[in-house]
Amino acid sequence: MVTAAPYLILAAVGAPALSGLATMLLGGSQRLPRLTLAAAGPVASVALLAIHLGRHGVSPADTPTGTIPWVPSLQLDISFLVDGLGAFFALLIAGMGVVVVLYARAYFGPDDASLARFFPTLGFFTSAMLGVVLADHLLLTVLFWELTAISSFLLIGWDRDDADAGKRAMQAFFTTGLGGLALLGGILLFGSHTGIWRWSRLIAEATTISHDGTVVAAFVLMFVGAATKSAQWPLHDWLPGAMKAPTPVSAYLHSATMVKAGVFLLGRMLPAFGALALWLPLLVSIGAVTMLLGAVLALGQSDLKRIFAYTTVSHLGLLVAMYGMGGASTAEGLMAIDWDLTQIASHALYKAPLFLVVGALAHLVGARRLPELFGLWHRPGTDTKVVAVVLLLSGYALAGGPGTVSFVAKELFFAATTHAAGLHPLLAVVGVMAMAAAACNVAIFVRLATTVLGSSAGVRDGSAVPEPDAHGVDRWAFMLWAPAAALIALQYLGGLVPSLWNRTFRGIEVNVNDGAFADGLPWAWEPFLHPGMPLLMSMVAIGVGAVLGFSGWMRRDLVDVHTRIWPASYRGILQGGHRLFHSVQTGHVRHYLAVVFGVLTLCIGWAAWADPAMLRPPAGMAPLEYPAGLLLGAVVCATAIALPMVTERVVRVLVLGASGFAVVGLYLVYQAPDLALTQLMFEIISVILFLLVLRLLPRPDRRPRIRVLPRLALASVVGITIGWMTLIAGHAADSRADDTPTLGAFFEAHSLQGSELTDGRGGEGRNVVNVILVDFRGFDTLGEITVLATAALGVWSMLPGRRRHREEEDVRVPTGQGTQR
Amino acid sequence: MILRTAVRFILPLTFLYAAYAALKGHNGPGGGFIAGLIASVGLCTYRMSYGDRAFHRLLPIHPRWLVFVGLGLAAGVAALPLLFGQPLLRSASTTLHLGGADVHLVSATAFDLGVLLVVVGVAVGMISRLGEELDR
Repeated sequence: MVTAAPYLILAAVGAPALSGLATMLLGGSQRLPRLTLAAAGPVASVALLAIHLGRHGVSPADTPTGTIPWVPSLQLDISFLVDGLGAFFALLIAGMGVVVVLYARAYFGPDDASLARFFPTLGFFTSAMLGVVLADHLLLTVLFWELTAISSFLLIGWDRDDADAGKRAMQAFFTTGLGGLALLGGILLFGSHTGIWRWSRLIAEATTISHDGTVVAAFVLMFVGAATKSAQWPLHDWLPGAMKAPTPVSAYLHSATMVKAGVFLLGRMLPAFGALALWLPLLVSIGAVTMLLGAVLALGQSDLKRIFAYTTVSHLGLLVAMYGMGGASTAEGLMAIDWDLTQIASHALYKAPLFLVVGALAHLVGARRLPELFGLWHRPGTDTKVVAVVLLLSGYALAGGPGTVSFVAKELFFAATTHAAGLHPLLAVVGVMAMAAAACNVAIFVRLATTVLGSSAGVRDGSAVPEPDAHGVDRWAFMLWAPAAALIALQYLGGLVPSLWNRTFRGIEVNVNDGAFADGLPWAWEPFLHPGMPLLMSMVAIGVGAVLGFSGWMRRDLVDVHTRIWPASYRGILQGGHRLFHSVQTGHVRHYLAVVFGVLTLCIGWAAWADPAMLRPPAGMAPLEYPAGLLLGAVVCATAIALPMVTERVVRVLVLGASGFAVVGLYLVYQAPDLALTQLMFEIISVILFLLVLRLLPRPDRRPRIRVLPRLALASVVGITIGWMTLIAGHAADSRADDTPTLGAFFEAHSLQGSELTDGRGGEGRNVVNVILVDFRGFDTLGEITVLATAALGVWSMLPGRRRHREEEDVRVPTGQGTQR
Repeated sequence: MILRTAVRFILPLTFLYAAYAALKGHNGPGGGFIAGLIASVGLCTYRMSYGDRAFHRLLPIHPRWLVFVGLGLAAGVAALPLLFGQPLLRSASTTLHLGGADVHLVSATAFDLGVLLVVVGVAVGMISRLGEELDR
């Protein structure tokens, strides 16, 4: 069935990247067209999604929205799923994309070079994120997932002159990239085990999926992918490190997109894997630890960007823990997760303004550290005042103060933890940790407010206020705070007038289980009118937080011990790799050969151990049938034994040749003229080649004859094993009990004429060997001659040609025989 | 001297035999690989007895062209069935009636000739390249 829907969504996904690319066509200082074009992409995405939603509404999570065939033979197609979760994230990403584009214009100012570079990268990133949240096919998700890793790498390492930014980008790329590999592994494992390759089918058949070891392993791998992307402990360190990125990027990465991809993935996985016994303990423990750790570390920072980065880590932990507790709802048939999308949106709607404001501050007053911002409110300048107001309003939302959406969201989370504690007493710990984290957030707001207002409790030290940022500020300066103000307004709009919020979100919220919330989010004062456990927890958090904030405790920079993990492990990997490389790649052919033959012998030995019948001599073996063969075999053995005893290399080659010619004789005795001819010609050529090469090599240095015994032992074992296996293999072809034709018999029968087995095709030749080579296994032969040709090209290019030699002739000192190198 | 004179006679015979082996290969002992080796041995012997210059006169092109042409021929034969909607490497055969004799033609023979050229090119190329190194 061909419908327009998937193409519409594909267009929505691709629009930002396309418009970003299109901005590259603009040259010079066409700022306004560039901005318009860059904004057009995400705007188009929003519009197309709105059209889709208006036409089809939100799909149920178990119904794919549309499919475009892509690689039918792999059952891989471009399929989309616009359910509540996907649509919410897509609108969030595209909407934030518009905001960030506008803000970037003000942030970079009239700096054309930066804008020209920024918009294409941002568009690429936006498209990748849209793909992640809208893809239905599991592999398509992975594809876009990796694209986000690449594009965020480009964005974090934006400042080309800053070596540290490059390192941080590398760290983010490595961490999330490894997570991506784990995700790919998990998805491949799951897909190949169950045959389910789509989220929609996965969710539809959630109850029938068995919880066997493979599924659990796949789930753990996928969780690792989600956890690295969402900066969960102990791999969270890349996220504060990613603060090296320019502020528009930070705002984007943190608020809506990349770091939420992991949370999104967990939301996708919840209906399918939530019933796994491992789901709840794994997610809740990791999430809760991350939540508390991030909050405590945030409290110990003084750089605003770092503070907000760590609160993001904390909130991501909260979201993961929230989805973790959601597992209880499927297992117990009870509510433990409600309004998860509101939880996510509330974070985006205060974290994005916070980052945008930090960037604005860097422009207006050139300060990002708390002590430098002391008394910001009293400084001159209208823009500064407005920015200070937005900063305080956003900080209030960060603290989860009443009147904001995040207050309600926090209440929701507290309600979930109380409920979860009722299911299992141990989960009460999570509630306490959540309270502590919330208290840290409150303390941060208190500290921020007192500092900005210049109160005596504020943070200040003797440091001088630095000069404003080098980026130019022009008439677009209002765009530094306008987007932030618009976003933070939504927080208060939703918090004070919940009916508006509900009208928007009720339709896409899937996880609404509790009757009290079924009608929508409550009015902000509702908890105060009907106090309960969540409100009590909130109050405790606010009280503790206020004390923490006003007291001087933890006001110095707290070092995150995890920052050491990355450089240490990076160095360890490099050194380990170096050592491994040099112990494996010794540069001695005899080592490589020993390894190759040793492994071969081990494999065959293992097979023989598994099937002892292989060790029995085949029945009907007549070793004395051809006396000539026996004689030639003896010659082969004799030459092989003589070979190591000869020291002169030329003689060695000749002895080797003798061995080869004896083999030729063997082929003739056993009536294989083809092989004999080939072997004969090959022997001649190889002897010629050997002699040529040997004369070119430098004199061998007499190396001490050590470790002869082990080598002798290895050689004997390899020789006996391979020889025996050759015997058995030759015989096994004749003595098969069942009627299935052996390969030899098959080719013998079909080399001239075909049968039903080969669709009536034969090789039309009587020489079985040749028919096999050029017909039945023609592809092999084609590959082999390609390898030959490549090898020859290698020889010709590695040994410099005649012409070049003549040029170098003058500098080379001729010695006795040939040229010494 | 004896070698030189002998090679003068042997070389054409080698080629003849190589050609015979290549064409005959489908039904009797032989085939492109063997034929290639035979021709290479002949050429190498010639080169060793007459030297680089004479060899260059005999084979005025760089052996890499043999490799390229051979590989192209083999790949072309392999890909040709695709044009007729057949799978890769599907061989075709016809029987020509020339007077009294029936000549059986198989497309695989052309593939075999490609193999032959590659083998000759590689072997001769490597040996003459290394020989050059020695001559200096």
